[in-house]
Amino acid sequence: MFQDILFICSAILVIAGTLGVVFSKNLMRACTLLLGTLFGVAGLYAVLGADFLAASQLVIYAGGVIILMLFAVMLTGGSADKANKFGIEKIMGMGSVKTYVIAGLTVLVFSLTIMKLLASFLKGYQKLDELPAFTSTVDKIGTMLVTDHVLAFEISSILLLGALVGAAVIARPRRG
Amino acid sequence: MSPTLYDYVNQFEAHQKAVAMLNEFFGTDVTGYVTFLVFLVGALIVVGVMATIGGLGTYAERKISADIQMRQGPNRVGPFGILQFLADGVKMILKEDIYPAQADRLLFNLAPMLAIVGVLATLAVVPFSSGLTLANLNVGVFFLVGISSLVGVAVFLGGYSANSKWSMLGGMRGASQIISYEVPITITTLTIVLLSGGLSFGAFVETQGGLPHQWYIFHNPFTFIGFFVFFIGMLAETNRAPFDLPEAESELVSGYHTEYTGMRFGLFALAEYIEIFVLCGVAVAAFLGGYKVPFDLGSGVIFVEKLGLPAIIGKNIGQVLQLGSFVTKTLALYYVVIWVRWTYPRIRVDQVMTICWKYLTPLALFNLVGVTVWMYLTHNQSIWELFSHLFAAAGSGGGH
Repeated sequence: MFQDILFICSAILVIAGTLGVVFSKNLMRACTLLLGTLFGVAGLYAVLGADFLAASQLVIYAGGVIILMLFAVMLTGGSADKANKFGIEKIMGMGSVKTYVIAGLTVLVFSLTIMKLLASFLKGYQKLDELPAFTSTVDKIGTMLVTDHVLAFEISSILLLGALVGAAVIARPRRG
Repeated sequence: MSPTLYDYVNQFEAHQKAVAMLNEFFGTDVTGYVTFLVFLVGALIVVGVMATIGGLGTYAERKISADIQMRQGPNRVGPFGILQFLADGVKMILKEDIYPAQADRLLFNLAPMLAIVGVLATLAVVPFSSGLTLANLNVGVFFLVGISSLVGVAVFLGGYSANSKWSMLGGMRGASQIISYEVPITITTLTIVLLSGGLSFGAFVETQGGLPHQWYIFHNPFTFIGFFVFFIGMLAETNRAPFDLPEAESELVSGYHTEYTGMRFGLFALAEYIEIFVLCGVAVAAFLGGYKVPFDLGSGVIFVEKLGLPAIIGKNIGQVLQLGSFVTKTLALYYVVIWVRWTYPRIRVDQVMTICWKYLTPLALFNLVGVTVWMYLTHNQSIWELFSHLFAAAGSGGGH
């Protein structure tokens, strides 16, 4: 029962947050509402027993990504000054026939692909009455990261190092 | 399943009998509801007590600062002015609620709530005693780092939404400072994770002992440095002096909460004081032995054996001692935090970033590597254990 309540709360948070993000006219508010979505996703992970993933979701998104997005939106001016000094809108309108057609086709293709992929799982699907007993995933994740998936782990760390060096180079004051 | 408050309550016979009786009375299994009730009551008690401690924190701050500056401090309301925080609370509730004309109402309302929610959610994993830990999560430290970063978002939103230059500057300073200092704090906590072999606060505390030489701060030279890195980072994380740039009153009026009035301002202040307590508690749990009581009094076994008390009473006496040990250490650190504020002048913005990225972060990384090497070379023994081996060897060598 407790799992159900947690699931319903998280799901409502995700859906409400996402709708808020999509329908909000103010970019700053959209960013803040995205926080609700990300928290809801963390809750969904917790329901599934992925405790480490849930905590990572909080650390990475709530702590880092949202603040960086807020900074970026604030420094670029957000939606407040979307017209330039001649009164022409800098951001093009999104709601034209062309964009709707493209979006509709994309949704169709994606959903068909996903259905095709999921078909084999859905046919053999049996409803679980109880989730499996809760076990900590931290040990397993740690072991896997330094054994089976050590290559991916190291490559991603090199990628991040590259990003760090790049950021330092861009931010460095120019000489002369 | 990770041990929680419910597991502690569940081990008493009285509780099991009561659940059995309720089961019979209602004719169904009510264990789920009882669990919920236990957590609800526990959470309400913890939040209530912590809010009081946060309130008393403002009183302590004023009284200690008065002491340091040879003044009286609040002394009118109640004995020694101890009810001053209640009077302040009443004042805040009765104040006029003002929105700046250009403010973003939604975000302006949301910011103080995010601050208080972020801080209160961290209380779920704070280990007050071995029984009174609401949830000893397997990923406790990680959870705390993640959820407390909500305060950073709150500070930034509070600064942005008020649409005032002072708030804006304070909010930007606050957010950049909080995300910067998370790095050394997290890396320093990682050294303790390595030593204790677990991410939960239970693992942190249980692998330490009651006496100072069993604490992680004196485990090896690297953790000794690590404690101070953590403490400095903690001051910056909670926007305390000398890192109180986000609310520097001489330049920014009062930073990100300049435009807030009444209880909304009160929530920011309360969140700050509770956050100090929580982070002091984390420092105590990670470095200063947490709730451990010397000579293993905390488990209560000794009371049962020597005094012949029933097991249940012995256990509860042990819990009270553990709680006392934790709270005493935490409040001592709290005192130091306030003491630092009224002793050191505020540093500049560039100095804040220099201290974080050029000194604390390299130091924290050095500590991490140092602790790893130490653990490899000494098989996870503390410096005192090494000394005792050395003396034992020397003693036996002299005997020959």
